[in-house]
Amino acid sequence: MMTSHDAIIIGTGAAGGIVACVLAEAGKDVLLLERGPALSFSQVGRDHLRNQRLSIYGHNAGPELEGNPRVFVDPAGNARTVRPHEPDYHNNAACVGGGTRVYGAQAWRFMPADFRMASTYGVPEGSSLADWPLTYDDVEPFYERAEWELGVAGDGPALRDYVPRRRDYPLPPVPPSPQTVALKRGAQQLGWITSPVPLLINTLPYGRRDSCIACKYCVGFACPTDAKNGSHNTMIPRALATGHCKLVTAAMADRIETDEEGKVNGVSYFVQEGGLAQERGKAEAHTARAKIVIVSAGAIESARLLLNSYSTHHPNGLGNEYDQVGRNLQGHLYPRAYGLMREKVFNGIGPGVTLATTQFNHGNLGVIGGGMLADDFIKPPIDFWYDSLPPDLPRWGLANKRFMRDNYTRVLHVRGPVQDVPSPEGRVTIDRAVRDRWGIPVARLSGSTHPATVVAAEFMRSRGEEWLRASGCERVWSWRPGLVLSGGQHQAGTCRMGHDPKTSVTDKWGRVHNHDNFFVVDGSLHVTNGGFNPVLTIMALAFRSAAHIVRAYFQCATG
Amino acid sequence: MRLTRQQQQTLRAAVDRIIPPDNYPGAWQSGVGDYLARQFESDLRPVLDDYCAGLTALEAESVARFQQSFNLLSDEEQDTVLRHIEAGEVLTAWDVAPCIFFNLLVNTTAEGFYTDPEQGGNRNGVSWAMTGFEEPGSPSPGSPARQPRWGGSGQPAWGGGHLQ
Ligand SMILES: Cc1cc2nc3c(=O)[nH]c(=O)nc-3n(C[C@H](O)[C@H](O)[C@H](O)COP(=O)(O)OP(=O)(O)OC[C@H]3O[C@@H](n4cnc5c(N)ncnc54)[C@H](O)[C@@H]3O)c2cc1C
Repeated sequence: MMTSHDAIIIGTGAAGGIVACVLAEAGKDVLLLERGPALSFSQVGRDHLRNQRLSIYGHNAGPELEGNPRVFVDPAGNARTVRPHEPDYHNNAACVGGGTRVYGAQAWRFMPADFRMASTYGVPEGSSLADWPLTYDDVEPFYERAEWELGVAGDGPALRDYVPRRRDYPLPPVPPSPQTVALKRGAQQLGWITSPVPLLINTLPYGRRDSCIACKYCVGFACPTDAKNGSHNTMIPRALATGHCKLVTAAMADRIETDEEGKVNGVSYFVQEGGLAQERGKAEAHTARAKIVIVSAGAIESARLLLNSYSTHHPNGLGNEYDQVGRNLQGHLYPRAYGLMREKVFNGIGPGVTLATTQFNHGNLGVIGGGMLADDFIKPPIDFWYDSLPPDLPRWGLANKRFMRDNYTRVLHVRGPVQDVPSPEGRVTIDRAVRDRWGIPVARLSGSTHPATVVAAEFMRSRGEEWLRASGCERVWSWRPGLVLSGGQHQAGTCRMGHDPKTSVTDKWGRVHNHDNFFVVDGSLHVTNGGFNPVLTIMALAFRSAAHIVRAYFQCATG
Repeated sequence: MRLTRQQQQTLRAAVDRIIPPDNYPGAWQSGVGDYLARQFESDLRPVLDDYCAGLTALEAESVARFQQSFNLLSDEEQDTVLRHIEAGEVLTAWDVAPCIFFNLLVNTTAEGFYTDPEQGGNRNGVSWAMTGFEEPGSPSPGSPARQPRWGGSGQPAWGGGHLQ
């Protein structure tokens, strides 16, 4: 059975939900495919050992641990099969809403210089650092749209030195906590500018949903009052309300279909009857046709899908004439520092992240880029035990227990994403020898970021320690960053946009070069990934691409 | 659970040195044994043989070093045995790498003690009260009060906003 649509969108994450909504509200008939299920609050649950932040034995927003392997190749060249909750899998999430179902919801804009990295710094050898084919000013109206349509809480005037904006945030920022006061004092002493952290969280009722109740479970969990704004509770419900968008869950796209001339004309996908818990073999194969196909499966899976969609016209996969698909995989090294305060700095009021400095995103001597630094979301004690204890503290015995007892509420944390200097060797390819539950060849991850990223991360680690000392910490500890593959929850860059088909995969709208009806719209597009959490930029670009698609393809054609 | 009686006794004594009782309960009293019993049937099943081999070897180390069962040693003697194992300085033949066993023991004990009580350990949220993560009697996360805890009647305590 074959259905036919104006557009098929693969993936319901940050970008997919937005594009589905804009197209459906323009009256277009949209088929929206999502490999995972729609998860309720209780399905996501509150398991401290199996969530998208601490995934010791599993996680809570997909993909399922069995039947969804990837292959990871370590720096020495050893390949091994990894399961979705292992760190080397570089997972984000697989459910309706994608990463936005369980994200922390920091809502940063990139800075103007983030779109011009090559012009600003030059290109170090071995790196694929490049300028974007668009500027901050091109994206600014769409940042604003994302902030207002999904709902962001923040303090625009306090951030005016970081990025120009025409309009303030729709919601006031989260309030300060004791740690904010300490860190603000420290920053003032150092002469650093700070501001509240913008968050996609309702600090007041917004979008006909409740406000935040300040629980302790933002990152890696779902929100009990639905006050955390993601695709699943903003754009996708709007898309479905039009009656023009059909969402199919447990639907795994395995191939973009092309006709005899090599033109994209549809998607094949498997639907797991009865849901994902069912045994292998009960998947039903479907093909749907569409005028436009839009890939939004996240940076690793989008690249995998394009590479798996090879044919006689496209022997190396779609959009991969010049071996660009899957390269430049980026995320963020995330240096962090901890310090011990004499007084309590924890009041148990979530989200926990309150204050940031963007002082070191650029203009650091001998460093390419830099990054934002902020305090952290509240960490459950077991997460704190694994992540935050001083390296010289015994790992067991009374000393360890007493440190937890006395100091869980006295440890100040700062951390932040460091702008990746991309390497073409940090990449996604296909491993035909390893298949997932549907029989589809899996993603193979290899390489690492460029060594210049490690320099920037080390610089930011020192700034973190400096901030903590100035804030009154008696003892400060942190870890040296290493040269690793960066991807993970902030994965981006695998189908970068650009003017030149030889060095990029799509044009500045996300249209795949040499195709007129085939788009990528998710984090894959990022030429560089900013020194910020990436989701608001993914959202802004999705609004921009969606507006373009409606304008260029549908307004005159069907108008 | 496939642990022998001896292994059970060793485990009970060992987890109480990893997280000893003080003015807050130790690992065993707070339910780490229950947490582990569940985990041995599920997530830890693949490493259960290592875990058991380690407990048996720990007992043998104790006999070799102090001529007594581990669970009968004094706190100080027990810590001495554990410290040697942690450092890889063992007197007997081990069927599992001592450091692998030791890491498992430490990590899984901490997990049972600090994770959410639904998993069998951390009875009554004892470690959450100890750390200050949850004040005793704070509202259950599943049944949220409908007001932000930082504010009064829907208005945030930090006042105003920048609504346009
Ligand atoms: C715990 C956590 C905390 C985070 N915190 C922040 C934060 O504070 N700030 C921030 O900026 N970012 C944060 N992120 C990252 C953010 O969620 C991602 O940047 C964002 O979701 C990426 O958007 P995307 O559209 O590129 O892909 P995704 O959101 O990953 O969406 C891709 C979707 O496609 C689906 N899919 C994949 N393959 C297929 C297929 N073949 N067929 C059908 N469907 C498919 C997936 O299931 C998924 O739903 C966090 C992420 C996590 C997990």
